[in-house]
Amino acid sequence: MSESFASTLSSTPFAGGGIALHSVTVTYQRHPALHHLSGCFEPGSMTAVVGPNGAGKTTLLRALAGDLLLQSGRIDGLAGQRMAWLPQHSEIDRSFPISVREMVMHGLWHQLGAWGWRRAAHRAACDQALAAVGLTGMEQRPIDTLSGGQMQRALFARLILEDAAVILLDEPFAAVDEPTSADLLRLIAQWQREGKTVIAVLHDLRLVREHFPQTLLLARKAVAWGPTAQVLTEANWLRAKHMREPFDEHAPLCEHTEPNARTASQTAPAHSVKRALA
Amino acid sequence: MTALSGLFQAVAGPFIEFDFMRRALLGCLLLSISAAPVGVFLMLRRMSLTGDAMAHAILPGAAIGYLAAGLSLTAMTIGGVIAGLGVAMGSGLVARHTVLREDTSLAAFYLLSLALGVLIVSVRGNSVDLLHVLFGTVLALDDAALSLLAGIAVTTLVAGALLFRPLVLECLDPGFLRRVSALSPLAHYGFLGLLVINLVAGFHALGTLMAVGIMVLPAATARFWVRSLTALLMLASALALLASASGLLISYHADWPTSPTIVLCLGVAYIVSMLLAPFGLRAQQRSSSHLQA
Amino acid sequence: MKPLHTRRHLLSLALLLPLSLPALAQSAADKPLRAVASFSILGDLVRQVGGEHVAVDVLVGPGADAHVFQPTPAQARQVAQAQVLFSNGLGFEGWMSRLLKTAGYKGKQVVVSQGIAPLKEAGHGGHSHGHSHGHSHGGVDPHAWQNPRHVITYVDNIAKGLCGADAPRCEAYRRNAAAYTVQLQALDAEIANAWVAIPAVQRKVITSHDAFGYYAKAYNVKFLAAQGMSTDSEASAKGVGQLVRQIKKDNIKALFVESISDPRLIEQIGRETGVKPAGELFSDSLSDANGAAATYLAMMRANTAALTKAIKGQ
Repeated sequence: MSESFASTLSSTPFAGGGIALHSVTVTYQRHPALHHLSGCFEPGSMTAVVGPNGAGKTTLLRALAGDLLLQSGRIDGLAGQRMAWLPQHSEIDRSFPISVREMVMHGLWHQLGAWGWRRAAHRAACDQALAAVGLTGMEQRPIDTLSGGQMQRALFARLILEDAAVILLDEPFAAVDEPTSADLLRLIAQWQREGKTVIAVLHDLRLVREHFPQTLLLARKAVAWGPTAQVLTEANWLRAKHMREPFDEHAPLCEHTEPNARTASQTAPAHSVKRALA
Repeated sequence: MTALSGLFQAVAGPFIEFDFMRRALLGCLLLSISAAPVGVFLMLRRMSLTGDAMAHAILPGAAIGYLAAGLSLTAMTIGGVIAGLGVAMGSGLVARHTVLREDTSLAAFYLLSLALGVLIVSVRGNSVDLLHVLFGTVLALDDAALSLLAGIAVTTLVAGALLFRPLVLECLDPGFLRRVSALSPLAHYGFLGLLVINLVAGFHALGTLMAVGIMVLPAATARFWVRSLTALLMLASALALLASASGLLISYHADWPTSPTIVLCLGVAYIVSMLLAPFGLRAQQRSSSHLQA
Repeated sequence: MKPLHTRRHLLSLALLLPLSLPALAQSAADKPLRAVASFSILGDLVRQVGGEHVAVDVLVGPGADAHVFQPTPAQARQVAQAQVLFSNGLGFEGWMSRLLKTAGYKGKQVVVSQGIAPLKEAGHGGHSHGHSHGHSHGGVDPHAWQNPRHVITYVDNIAKGLCGADAPRCEAYRRNAAAYTVQLQALDAEIANAWVAIPAVQRKVITSHDAFGYYAKAYNVKFLAAQGMSTDSEASAKGVGQLVRQIKKDNIKALFVESISDPRLIEQIGRETGVKPAGELFSDSLSDANGAAATYLAMMRANTAALTKAIKGQ
């Protein structure tokens, strides 16, 4: 399925609004973590990214976020788009003396920058976001008093304020309880209604089936990409498990080239290069 | 009444009578405003031991300044600042772009720098203790030293205010800052720059012990009392000033060397706070009652 | 005819022979004695006594600080190859014993202060040394060379030491020592004379280094200091305050900055009392060859001139 998808993509001119991947390869020390991945995230779509461990799911998100350099291929549709990203393991220093509101307010960086004056409107938006995630009343609390679930809610509040067109979530429900994940899923559905593109890496297939209309089954390449019911089949899972082997120390050089694919010297759109070097 | 006036005489007398005491107090005030807030961020970034490392790192700069212009304190201070900035920036670069973290990369750089400094001094054959000459004493703050301290204080406050939000985010969630702003390197290296100039200025005017002490101890002490960042910054400065004024007075009345006495006052405040303050050791104890919710 | 020429030749030869003997003897013992002196002042004294017969290496050179001296490998080698080693003693060279052990020195050691009754270490009450560099003077003031009469004893010890290491040239050493002693006695008289014009009550000096105890005793001059003897001890606020009060009370006009220690404290005291720093005094070391204190005699004369000038207010 993926090969035909790729071949149709290479001949069709790309339509604005979505995110298109053309034969994207990302390597760690020359071993491919993503191997000639091609496909498209439709604008306003809600896609779950699933796959066995080591399939390159986090790598895909990082490549989309501009955190990684592409070894070959390109990603279209990201220029000029604000992207919000929730990493799997947050780098946040929990012991830093800051209140919940202050932390969530950082989501307004795109409006305030480093020196913008914070008006009442900004504070109101922040409180609204906190209400949307169910953290009303916690505004002044220092963040080290938050439980895991509460911290995740607060980070979602920050995401709300970022008001990004594309939202990347890496295992957002990994360490939270049922009520929290239910609330956050409602929020995600709300985002989709607002026309945002949501891409989430998930492990819980039940959740995927219930809430995510689109799924990408990833094993370094796209095993299956499309409506969830069609993707999440036994056959596809078996194929995924077979396609995902550990890095081979003695693997030969890859000679594969896609039709219309650019050469390695023309990789990496400007924005991801700049970001990766910052 | 006489008890009160006696107390007044004991506390204010030395400052009224002696110019060097007034200058020392002013120097402490300037350094408290400037170095204590830097120390708060140093603590939050887990870099508190950097001060001592930096003292050694500036040696080759001071040595080269000495070779160039003899025992000129200006030349040696400028050389020290350049060397300190070089080491701070170099180790910062390594920490950001390689697998090494800040502490190891700094240790590597300062050791290299120190060895270079010792080599330069030894090859020249002169055994004058450079570090001692470079590091001044709080009782001898001339106009040049006070101007330097004032300049550093103003620079720190202005730069700190401008860099405040990026710096907070850099400490709290550096990945987030990198994605939303191009200011991340500015926050990182700007902070290192502030650190170096505060340390070198402190060394120049007040000596090794005091400069590092007044940066690190008030921040640690304040942490036992308050939980918000703004409160930390203000309390650290206030504690620094209070302790250094007390240290000055005690050194005067007890005839003790001044710099160590000031740092000891800071240290006593630290220990007392650890024992008595709400977020010190008392936080570990079980309270006798609890709330309903 | 011929016998006359031969006799003249023989006579001139006979006359030349005794003259050549010393030359022969010299060429055998021509090599100068290798000596090491611990610091520059001592080096000068040894040179004065040894003359051209002694090659002196100085460990702590002009302008360097003997309190924080760190010997280099080259200097350890000099010590190892020396035939006689001169040190001040009285706790001045805290690093000496380690250096001798490192260099494996087994030759003659001369402590030139032997025979001198030392003064106790001065220092204002309650004041303690700051972080020391492993040297303590053991409560004794080592700067005995500040009194020329003690230096006469030094010179005597030096001559004895040189004689012990190099007996053939002992005559020369004694002669040099005697000549130099005459100069030292003249220096002593000269200094005493310089102070006669100044009444004892006005003989008060502030300096940042407590190294002039022996000079003070010899010529009845009071040296007041803000710091102790070593260059790295910390000043105390009380001590500085007392000093400022005393300067103001006694109207002391002479303020001196050491060539080694931190001049800023001295300048601050000077600013507060209205007294300007009056140049430098040489305490532990000579200046370099172009300076005002290239030899011991020059040093003492320079110090005395500076002191008297400052007090007289010139």
